[in-house]
Amino acid sequence: MCDNCGCSITDANRHLVENDRHTIQVLEDLLHENDQQADHNRSHFDELGIFAVNIMSGPGSGKTSLLEATIHALPPGLRLAVIEGDLETENDAERIRRHGVPAVQITTGMACHLDAHMVHKALDQINLKAVDILFIENVGNLVCPASFDIGQHSNVLLLSVTEGDDKPAKYPVMVRAADQMLITKIDLLPYIEEFSVDRARAAVRDIRSDLPVTEVSAKTGHGLEPWLEWLTAMSAMRRTMARRQRRSHDYVARQAR
Amino acid sequence: MHETAIVEGLMRILEEQAAQHRVTRILSVTVKVGRLRAVEPQQLIACFEMFAEGTVAECARLVIDSMPVRARCKACKMEFEVPRFRFECPGCAGGDVAVIQGQELYIESFEAGSG
Repeated sequence: MCDNCGCSITDANRHLVENDRHTIQVLEDLLHENDQQADHNRSHFDELGIFAVNIMSGPGSGKTSLLEATIHALPPGLRLAVIEGDLETENDAERIRRHGVPAVQITTGMACHLDAHMVHKALDQINLKAVDILFIENVGNLVCPASFDIGQHSNVLLLSVTEGDDKPAKYPVMVRAADQMLITKIDLLPYIEEFSVDRARAAVRDIRSDLPVTEVSAKTGHGLEPWLEWLTAMSAMRRTMARRQRRSHDYVARQAR
Repeated sequence: MHETAIVEGLMRILEEQAAQHRVTRILSVTVKVGRLRAVEPQQLIACFEMFAEGTVAECARLVIDSMPVRARCKACKMEFEVPRFRFECPGCAGGDVAVIQGQELYIESFEAGSG
């Protein structure tokens, strides 16, 4: 007798009830529903020429501070919006709104990551037609967010100098998922002799040799240029692609008439 | 704890499949999990036991087929198993490699029986 649930199957008698057992092959992705929703989100972004960036890091690496610095440093023509993910509080969204940028807070309650459905719901609260770059600040966590596609085009990983230079080696899955990595709070480097930028870069290289790594300080603005140039270029590319897509749709529609 | 979300997906698939195949009892479930998915097997099993309670999969055994990470070197085309997330080609020491295994996260099959 199974003590837990009374189902009466144990390893000793399992063979008795398993005479007519048969195997059914399934081969279905366990996150299929999420991935489908993520593709749906991405098609919204693609249609409107929005560049969607998923920002991931451990708690306290300076994701929101980076966004605040980025808002001020990006060329004025670019229209931004932010989705903030946290277990609780509106604090981060309020910080972003103070800079005149629309922000939606998702409070996940117990969930340690954002998923595609949560992001889709948040999109309802944003005028997407007036957005060029959408930043999605994921829940501070170096494990779970890497597993969930939310419809983003790129993943950005932050590592602050206060966290230790062996973090990339400890959380390799996150490093593999990243398209850009920023070493943040570089202004604190003189006070943290334990952190070696070279060691951090070497740890990243072992896991992903082609990952671009930039050292930045949101506080002083140091090193932000490559990051801003990358955002600007990616946004321009997304807009061009959307224009081309619209043009070809129009063409097909005209031919059909 | 992304394992709960993964098990939710698994339970949804199992219940759909059980209804479709008129299965009243699931004895075991085999899932393929790549090492790059950062899934903790013990947590996955604990979640599964909890979620399966009161369903057709109650007391079913969850078999986790853990897939090691494999990569192909883009320079010398060598295929190799990646030890401890060190993505360096053992043939030519190149770092530009494509992952060919280790991203799996799917249900392969389940065993049905009456009981």
